[in-house]
Amino acid sequence: MKLIECKNISKNFGDGHKEIEALKETNFSVEAGEFVAIIGPSGSGKSTLLTIIGGLQTPSKGKVLIKDNPFSEEEEKKRAALRFKEIGFILQASNLVPFLNVRDQLRLVNKVEKTKMEQEQTDGLLEELDVLRLEKNYPSDLSGGERQRVAIARALYHDPSVILADEPTASLDSERAFEVVDILARETKSKQKATIMVTHDERLIDKCDKVYVMKDGVLSLRENA
Amino acid sequence: MFLAWKEIKYSKTRFALIIGVMILVSYLVYFLTGLAYGLAQDNRTSVDKWEADGIVLTDESNSNINMSMITLGQAEEVSGDETALLGQTAGVIRKEGTSGESAKINVTFFGIEPDEFIMPEVIEGKPFTNNDEAVADISLKEEEGIEIGDIVQLAGSDKQLTVTGFTENAKFNVAPVLYTTIGSFQEIRFEKIDDSDDGRISAVIVRDNSEDLAGIEIANNDLIPYKIGDYIYKIPGYSAQVLTFGLMIGFLVVIAAVVIGIFIYVLTLQKSSLFGVMKAQGISSGYIAKSVIAQTFILSTVGVGTGLLLTLGTSLALPATVPYQNNGLFLGGITLLLIIVAVLGALFSVRTVVKIDPLEAIG
Ligand SMILES: Nc1ncnc2c1ncn2[C@@H]1O[C@H](COP(=O)(O)OP(=O)(O)OP(=O)(O)O)[C@@H](O)[C@H]1O
Ligand SMILES: [Mg+2]
Repeated sequence: MKLIECKNISKNFGDGHKEIEALKETNFSVEAGEFVAIIGPSGSGKSTLLTIIGGLQTPSKGKVLIKDNPFSEEEEKKRAALRFKEIGFILQASNLVPFLNVRDQLRLVNKVEKTKMEQEQTDGLLEELDVLRLEKNYPSDLSGGERQRVAIARALYHDPSVILADEPTASLDSERAFEVVDILARETKSKQKATIMVTHDERLIDKCDKVYVMKDGVLSLRENA
Repeated sequence: MFLAWKEIKYSKTRFALIIGVMILVSYLVYFLTGLAYGLAQDNRTSVDKWEADGIVLTDESNSNINMSMITLGQAEEVSGDETALLGQTAGVIRKEGTSGESAKINVTFFGIEPDEFIMPEVIEGKPFTNNDEAVADISLKEEEGIEIGDIVQLAGSDKQLTVTGFTENAKFNVAPVLYTTIGSFQEIRFEKIDDSDDGRISAVIVRDNSEDLAGIEIANNDLIPYKIGDYIYKIPGYSAQVLTFGLMIGFLVVIAAVVIGIFIYVLTLQKSSLFGVMKAQGISSGYIAKSVIAQTFILSTVGVGTGLLLTLGTSLALPATVPYQNNGLFLGGITLLLIIVAVLGALFSVRTVVKIDPLEAIG
């Protein structure tokens, strides 16, 4: 099943006199249980594609379907709701709320959703990411790797069907980076999610099912040797 | 509430400082308002105490009681639901046996009939019974140390009065009132007692329930009835004071409110990148806005509430000479206004929250 489907999407940034074509017409989809990597030089349009898929900006042309919903065509309010439910964002810079401790980062999701996840389930998730022992810590008291793992826990918490990770390993040493990628791969397989990871690091793509290369706004599949 | 509260707990010092600013600003507003109000009240408490509807003065007096002179015979011609005779004059007294500049006290004498309705309630001691006795405003005891049984000497005459009791809230034109007999008043003002029809007093105070004093009948064209409210406004100096302080306090309140509003607005704007992060996670603008408003409400209520408590505490500790007075309506109004303006500041910044582009926050 296609969880993410991009149909002829492109993105132009106009600053008055000059138009930048950040993303050229792209067709692209990700199946459930598929772990996809996007690599490419800086400024090639990787983040642009990812944020369009995540609904943080809209494509200039074409549309994005998430679970067959015409996501990119919804109005902002509905998009926020859908993003909250279906998409887990993991960003390069930590996207944690500075004044919430690790457990409260997850509790915030409950508060917004007005649901309650079982304590054991939360503990299980935190344990899996090896941050349960840090549950009382605030983001400022965590190492970069720990913070990134909490961010992953946060993104996985409400069980989204799509995980979008923009350079999730950028602040980590290679050992920690491999760990993070392992976790993403494992989650993708075990819970049949569609995961896209943008990265600079070629060594991290071994675990991925498909690797795309972005160059000057053109996305192309790299056949694995 | 969750976000609002967690953030306050996390950045305790920061929020303590914010609350501190709120406390100081509200304290300033409350306190100055109380002072201005207290001073204004000191012009009129003795008049409010009559609980009267009208006052009859001579036409010539231009509603200035000092200039009004009515004979007892003319006073007979005034009829209403209830009437009371009043002789009023300003004077200076000193406690017998004291001397020097600092012992002089400015007072106002009210000469009245003890059986008429303007006779004040005596809260300490006994009512006066003859022309040589008086009931004084309690401030003479609190501020000047005059006790029951003390004799006060009038400046510039041989007249002496024994203080037999005290009443409260009896000030006229910022001076404490001494209540005594009409005869005694005539002695002070005219140096002789005259209880014939030609004997003079200052005014007739009337209680009358009818609209616009329609129930007051005066068979004399030289006498004019004034509504008590109009009369108070014309007490010499009163309207100037009320206007000046009213404007001052008005500006103070408005400026304080605007400062608090802007303060909260800037505070919220500072957090826009944080809101961006939350929005990227899919947390709705509505939820963020609600917690911003909840937080502002908590902060302003705690801040303004503490300012209020501090004001009430200070008012208890103030020496009696300070003309400070609390007024529930003002205190309540200012409290509401400050909290509402703070929340408005938050609402205003919420518009910006809604517009924050999560891309910018994470980019
Ligand atoms: N809001 C914007 N307005 C104008 N131009 C933009 C905007 N966002 C991105 N661009 C341009 O679009 C191009 C692609 O940017 P993008 O952020 O997608 O690159 P990237 O592949 O993620 O790079 P990096 O690896 O450095 O993160 C760049 O040339 C960038 O300058
Ligand atoms: Mg990027």
